[in-house]
Parts: sequence; C-alpha cells; structure tokens
Amino acid sequence: MKLYICIDDTDNYDSIGTGELLETMMQEAALRGLGKCGFTVRYQLLIHEDIPYTSHNSSMCCEAETEDRAALTAFCADYLRENAAEGSDPGLCVLTADDRLDYAPLIAFGKRAQTEVLTKAQAYAAAEAFGSEVHLSEHGGTGGGVIGALAGAALRAGKEEGRIKGKLQPPAGKPEWTTAEFAAFYGVERFADEDGNDLTGPLTLTFVYPTKLIYQRGMVTAVLLHENGRWLLKPKLKKKK
Amino acid sequence: MWKNINGSAVFAGGKEAFEDAAQTALRCPLFRPDSEEEWTAEEARSCYNCRYRRWTKESFQCVKGGCP
Repeated sequence: MKLYICIDDTDNYDSIGTGELLETMMQEAALRGLGKCGFTVRYQLLIHEDIPYTSHNSSMCCEAETEDRAALTAFCADYLRENAAEGSDPGLCVLTADDRLDYAPLIAFGKRAQTEVLTKAQAYAAAEAFGSEVHLSEHGGTGGGVIGALAGAALRAGKEEGRIKGKLQPPAGKPEWTTAEFAAFYGVERFADEDGNDLTGPLTLTFVYPTKLIYQRGMVTAVLLHENGRWLLKPKLKKKK
Repeated sequence: MWKNINGSAVFAGGKEAFEDAAQTALRCPLFRPDSEEEWTAEEARSCYNCRYRRWTKESFQCVKGGCP
C-alpha cells in the first residue's frame, strides 16, 4: 500500500528543519521494517501574520510504501511526539496514495492553505469528509500543524508543483549528459524549460552547477535553461518567493 | 537596512535585495544557514538563507533583532 506522509510545524529556530525530521523519521521506520520512503516534496503555504509558522510556513510530504498502515502511522505519531522541537505545534497527515481516489475536495483545501488563513477545525472537517483514507493528528503544542500537514498531503496527491528536497551535485569530469542518461541516473521523469513547457526531444545538457529538481505535473522534473546555444541545468534559485 | 515594525526588526530591502542581504549576512555574527531546501539566494551566506529570518508578506523579520 502506498501512502502520502506529511508533517508540519515540527521545528523551532534551534532545531533541525521539518524536512530533515521527516527524512530521519522515515529512515527509522525503514530500519524497523515499517515501510520505505521516496523523495520529499516541499510545499509553500501562505505567509501571513495570523499564521504562527516558524520561518517559512512550508510543509514536507513523502510517498511511502508499507504493508502495515496502522503500525507506520502509530510509529510516525510517536516519533513526532518524541522528536518535534520544543514549542512547536506538530501535525501529521497520512493519506492513501491511489490514483483511483477523487482527491478534489482535499486538493481544494490544500490550495486554500496557500492563499487563505485556515483553522484546525477546517482541516479536521476536510479530513473527516474524505473518510477513512486519511489520518490527521496533532502531537504537541497547539497542534496547528495539522493544517499544513493535510494541505501538503493533499497537494502532493493532486500532483501540484513543489520543490524536491535536496540538491544534485555535478560529478567531476562529466559536464555533458544526454537527457536519457541523466534521467536514468538521477530518476528524472521529465525535462522542462523555465516556463514549464515539456522538453521531449533527445538533448545534450550541461550539468556543472548544484541543481535542484522540482515536482511538477506529478513527475520529478529537471528545469533546463537555454543559454548560448546549450541546455544548462537550471543553476539559479528562484528570485521570488 | 532594518525597519522597526511593531518591535520587530524587518529587512528594509524586501525579498529581492540579494546584494544587501548577502552583505548584511557577511557582517552578522549570528548568521546560521537554514536547511538548504529553504534557501532563496544563490549566495550561501545571505540573510535570505538564514535560519533566523522569518518571511513576511513583503520581506522578512530577523528574529535575532537585526544585524548589529
């Protein structure tokens, strides 16, 4: 069974970030044989003075595979309770990952969390309406992290765009790659230009700067810039939040 | 460089003053890099990449009170 696991509001200014906590939590889960986890996607939620985020109001979501959903959920809940930072308000969402499900109501909630101030009551109402395919729980403080946790899982289920945690480092001595070999080596599913358009033809790309991948249209996507007649893996961070 | 808004030190340059944010971080003894997935500036040492910045709608607040 595949699940989206999303956590939010687990940190303070002196702790590790939420993305790192999610990764260590899932590494521990794997060590206990509870499930395996893929890459993590970061979703930006609304920046607003009425929202008590630590520094950027983002939530982190990974896809996991497990044979024991209840045990993995219980482990994650315990892990958050024990390891979330002092003063944080952690929330956990575990959502069934199945393309046959109609996620539309949850996706709507996730998108609202990117543009509106929402409440815990609204998060619980959205989760309850979705039924038993979603678990939502709070593990300390005000528990306000349930809002972002549900939003992040919903956005991931909806294949909405987010940033993939981590960075690819260019290997020494190999600046040129075909898109096919790059895709096979790094697990990239799609290439796109800066405007999000598909780049489908076989291309030669230049990989000389540390590069981030994004999650776009449900696929691990590498963004390429066309500069001076060559395709360059996008080295620059977005200038705008 | 810093505006005092309701007792908080808010970066006066907004979200795209990359040079100022880098120069300010170079001078700051309290700079601490955030997780890399939260970086928004190319320069590693930039207030925009600091753990102690809290984004606001227009800019960010320095939770350490601003670089001295």
